[in-house]
Amino acid sequence: MISDVVKDEMRAIVGDEWFLDAPEDLVTYSYDGYLPEFMPDAVIIPGHRDEIAEVMKVANRERVHIIPRGAGTNICGSSVARKGGIILAFHRLNRIVEIDAESMCAVVQPGVVNADLQKAAAAFSLMYPPDPASMFVSTIGGNVALNAGGPRGVKYGVTRDYLLGLEVVLPTGDIIRTGGKTLKNVSGYDLTRLMCGSEGTLGIFTEIILRLVPLAPAKATLQAVYADLDDAATTVSAIIGAGIVPATLELIDRTVLNIIGNYGGARFSDEAQALLLIEVDGEESLVEAQGKRIETFCRERGAFQVEMAGTPEEAERLWQARRTAFGAVASLRPNCIVEDATVPVRMLPAIIRKIVEIADKYDLQIGVLAHAGDGNLHPLIMTDLRDKEEMARVDQALAELVQAAMEMGGTLSGEHGIGIAKDRFMTMEFSQTSIDLMRGIKRVFDPNNILNPGSFL
Amino acid sequence: MTGIEELAIRENSMILNAIANEFDQCIKCGLCLASCPVGKALFLEKYTPRGKVQLARRYAAGDLEISEHYRDIFARCLLCGACTVTCPSGVDQKTIFLKMREEIAGKRGLHPNVEAAVASLLACHNISDEDNSERGDWRDHIRDLPDHMYEKERADVVYFVGCVASFFPMVQSIPQNMIRILESAGVDFAVLAGEEWCCGFPLTGAGAPGEMKSLMDHNLEKVRALDAEEIVFSCPSCCRTWKEHYPTDLRLSHSTQVIERLVKEGAVSLGELNETVTYHDPCDLGRNGGVFDAPREILRSIPGLRFVELGNNRNQSVCCGGGGNLEMADAALSGRLAQNKLEEIRQTGAEIVVTACQQCVRTIKGKVRRERLDLGVLDITDLVIRSMSHG
Repeated sequence: MISDVVKDEMRAIVGDEWFLDAPEDLVTYSYDGYLPEFMPDAVIIPGHRDEIAEVMKVANRERVHIIPRGAGTNICGSSVARKGGIILAFHRLNRIVEIDAESMCAVVQPGVVNADLQKAAAAFSLMYPPDPASMFVSTIGGNVALNAGGPRGVKYGVTRDYLLGLEVVLPTGDIIRTGGKTLKNVSGYDLTRLMCGSEGTLGIFTEIILRLVPLAPAKATLQAVYADLDDAATTVSAIIGAGIVPATLELIDRTVLNIIGNYGGARFSDEAQALLLIEVDGEESLVEAQGKRIETFCRERGAFQVEMAGTPEEAERLWQARRTAFGAVASLRPNCIVEDATVPVRMLPAIIRKIVEIADKYDLQIGVLAHAGDGNLHPLIMTDLRDKEEMARVDQALAELVQAAMEMGGTLSGEHGIGIAKDRFMTMEFSQTSIDLMRGIKRVFDPNNILNPGSFL
Repeated sequence: MTGIEELAIRENSMILNAIANEFDQCIKCGLCLASCPVGKALFLEKYTPRGKVQLARRYAAGDLEISEHYRDIFARCLLCGACTVTCPSGVDQKTIFLKMREEIAGKRGLHPNVEAAVASLLACHNISDEDNSERGDWRDHIRDLPDHMYEKERADVVYFVGCVASFFPMVQSIPQNMIRILESAGVDFAVLAGEEWCCGFPLTGAGAPGEMKSLMDHNLEKVRALDAEEIVFSCPSCCRTWKEHYPTDLRLSHSTQVIERLVKEGAVSLGELNETVTYHDPCDLGRNGGVFDAPREILRSIPGLRFVELGNNRNQSVCCGGGGNLEMADAALSGRLAQNKLEEIRQTGAEIVVTACQQCVRTIKGKVRRERLDLGVLDITDLVIRSMSHG
């Protein structure tokens, strides 16, 4: 609980309108895209960096927890008040400060929506590549805090690869700047990248400098359907082995294909065990040639149906199955847990087979979507949180899945984050020494542990 | 975990029982936030579709009671349905929000800004607090009006004008156009004039759908007496209300559907117009009524007319700000959303925005006048009449 005196002090910093503690407001900041909900003590919505610094000084003095929250679309529970405290929301810090086309970078406030930046950059024939599924809603601040990825990750990488610099308010209220507009920067420890993916535990971003790249003038989109999962996997290896790096290389397994069909989406033959959606982008002549080569690879490796889009409308049609997939799966049962374990690319068929085995073993419905080009899996576990017995099986299945991914040389999370969803698995990936190091870093930044406590550390 | 396991629905609420399954479907992904004009304008999560669904769920679970705050939140919604078509897991938010308005009205009475309107609607049978016998006055300045003034004993088609187009001078051109179009195409039609009562649509948005019955009974009786086969509506919301609430087998059509048909049959011939127009899909005609193509077909049938789509069109159309009784609950917010609409229209470079709903015309044209902008705002019947005069 936070005393009324402290609340009044906070209220005075941002103004009455932007300090909320009515139950109707608390309820609507008690969740994000993950499952558990925690009622915060208050919500604060600062309009300026200096207000955030003032808020942090009071919070640090009074040991009040502060939990930064962008749009609340993350699916690992990294923006909920697990141990109580104040949700700090960035709705008002939503300005694109500058698109510096000559320096190929953008300067934005943390509350800018990813898609709005993409649109602004496109006006300069530039592109901001990270494209999480939440891009029409999620904020750049949240994307940086979670090091968000997306389907384009196979070619373009993730948020970290585009982060050049930050202005950060520390838990003590001090303000630092890291990095800058230069593309190269090796001075000192890389604090910028340390902040990226820190899930709101080290500092609060108030300005973000991002690298932009030229917008690709053309693309080719293909869809290939396989009767054997291994054939799809060897196609992935063949494409990458040939030196072609697609912008997108998505895999959908049989379970999800069936659900899409029943949901009223595209229907695939009963033989279909896996579908690949492949997109290459770049100069027109190059893209055309690569598209044809990929088409050949698919056919040679056993795809029984290969389509290459000739028009943007056809490309959109080919994307339809992938776009429908999540909604179709999510609407089947009351809840859907989106897993994010990631393995080296060549282990993809092995881990997918493992998932099918785990689903059978624990009698669960699990479909698989995968960013196949980078080994980033999204097993979709369809369940009902109210069914305690089933949830116990889900828990065991998750642990076994994560264990399998680790044994294959993978990681707990490719792009969704740890948050409260996977904190219990941290010791599978990190030794005690590594975890102690992380805790030490956290203490240096946040000696009183007020910033998003209860998250992964 | 709080709130998740405890989904026990409050007892004795038929209203909440009807939507309990919808809460279950919400996975809190937040994708609906991108589609909501109100949520984007007001920032706070409680004003977003996801926030409102969660507030409804928490109320249903007994965690929170209906407060004035609840009323204020649920009144700030256009009922435009953009969230409903965006939701990946198929939650019917619009129904949740309507049911919550009903629940709120039941627990705490009607919204103070809506109360008087509802009372006068029930007393006068129109939304304008006017004597309903004046409902047909829009015919006053029509030249060559036949003696029957389209009030007949029987007719093939009933033209249901709707309150707004009947009483608001700014949009009375719509029925005036419509009768010229129907007349010139040789359609046998009638109007109900003073015997047309409000369809009841504003009552659904006010949370008082139970009050609709007397209006429905009256309208059904008057229409039946004409022995008609079809009712044609200028107002997309009247049309939708009839389709969703009125027990009738009659063919219910929007004016754009009828005009499209008449153009195709050659009963209406369209002449050249040398203009660039864009088209705003009214929420209740397009997304909520499924009519996207008829107005576009009409526009494409006009020789010389250049038609450019808005950035957000068809299912993705953004409400003009005139929906959901928002104008009554928060006029300033409604005005801000109309401003956003104008900005989207401006980006098309069109000289004229055409729409097919009297409420959209009022909202957009009203804003254009206040801002003194050089943009034409026309109902599609205005454009058709212009085109016919060149035919």
